[in-house]
Amino acid sequence: MLPHMDAAYTLARYWTRNEQDAEDIVQDAYLRALRYFDGYRGESEASARAWLLTIVRNTAYTARKRGRADALTTEYDDTEHSLAAVDDRPDGPQQQRDAKETLGRALDRLATEFREVIVLRELQGLSYKEISEVTGVPVGTVMSRLSRARARLQEVLRDEGGV
Amino acid sequence: MTHPGYESQVDLLLDGELTPADARELEAHITGCAECTRLRDERLALRAAITAGVPTFQAPDTLRDRVRATLAAASAETVRTERAGAEARARPRPNRVSLGALWRPMALAASLVIVAVGSWNLALRQANHDRLAGEVLASHVRSLMPGHLTDVPSSDQHTVKPWFNGKLDYSPPVHDLAAKGYPLLGGRLDYVNGRPVAVLTYGRRQHLINVFLWPTTQGQSDAPNARDRQGYHLRHWTTPEYMYWVASDLNLAELQDFVRLLQQAD
Repeated sequence: MLPHMDAAYTLARYWTRNEQDAEDIVQDAYLRALRYFDGYRGESEASARAWLLTIVRNTAYTARKRGRADALTTEYDDTEHSLAAVDDRPDGPQQQRDAKETLGRALDRLATEFREVIVLRELQGLSYKEISEVTGVPVGTVMSRLSRARARLQEVLRDEGGV
Repeated sequence: MTHPGYESQVDLLLDGELTPADARELEAHITGCAECTRLRDERLALRAAITAGVPTFQAPDTLRDRVRATLAAASAETVRTERAGAEARARPRPNRVSLGALWRPMALAASLVIVAVGSWNLALRQANHDRLAGEVLASHVRSLMPGHLTDVPSSDQHTVKPWFNGKLDYSPPVHDLAAKGYPLLGGRLDYVNGRPVAVLTYGRRQHLINVFLWPTTQGQSDAPNARDRQGYHLRHWTTPEYMYWVASDLNLAELQDFVRLLQQAD
């Protein structure tokens, strides 16, 4: 009986883009949550969820920084420097030739800082303020990242002939 | 893009981050601006595509088991080491054996119980309610935009109810409350909670009331629940057959009156 586990797992899945890594992240995160629980001052269930997602996100972030398991992600931490919303890590040849780029894959190809705001907003329904708390960036940055990520995903939709 | 300033405003609007006053002002602008209308429609299409094409995941049972085991082990460990630590600290400063040092491990153990056993169902339902409230509110705000309110504008319940035939896998009860001062304005289809749902619109002076309803899944019944977001009131209850959500900017007393009438009519 563990609260918010699906939300935690979903965020970890999109963060790591890998099932096994996502499970490890969630396990670590719940362990941390247990340790920090007496520092938790929130009241509502919504803020409990945001609190837990913050821990999941930080756990994933730390794991990547530490370079634990190179498989965890192939991308360099470009949070500080990237100007492009798209993570231009070259795809494998068969991946490029694979069927049309789907929205899900386009999301996977976004750089992490753009991907996470989409997941938190569109899949988990967090407010800008909550997203700002989870990701540790100002609300204004949340807004601009959301906007650029959406613009990018819309391009994909358009190419699909969807819109 | 001729409206760089408006682009982020449209996002704010659709994300439910504007005050009702700002939202109305922006909606008025959008109505008269082809560029912004296009932008908004694209964003709505994107949102629909994400809902349809980007999955959320369920944590596998094996993961739940793993985490539960890890937490249980860690909790036992914490209690042991903290107790040892408390005893060690207690020796050089015997007067300072703080109650806190002894309470802490117990609080931790208790928190584990909360995390591991306690309110999972409740938490899940609450999180679900938060998400639903967000969807209902977004739909309500969207419906206030010109042209989005009703698919079948009619004050006749015998026109509105059959209109849903073939569009939904259920036939929603439609009541006319005009005699009570809440005329039926029409109905529309919307998409909430991952399914198409019926929305009935009622009026009260200049105020609009959107009633969302869809069949309950088996055995699901929620305590009635109320919340206010961005100046709108949201009310939720279940009947044995239907989940109800109501959204409006009507004053609270009248909205409660309306909800009562609707519940009696059922």
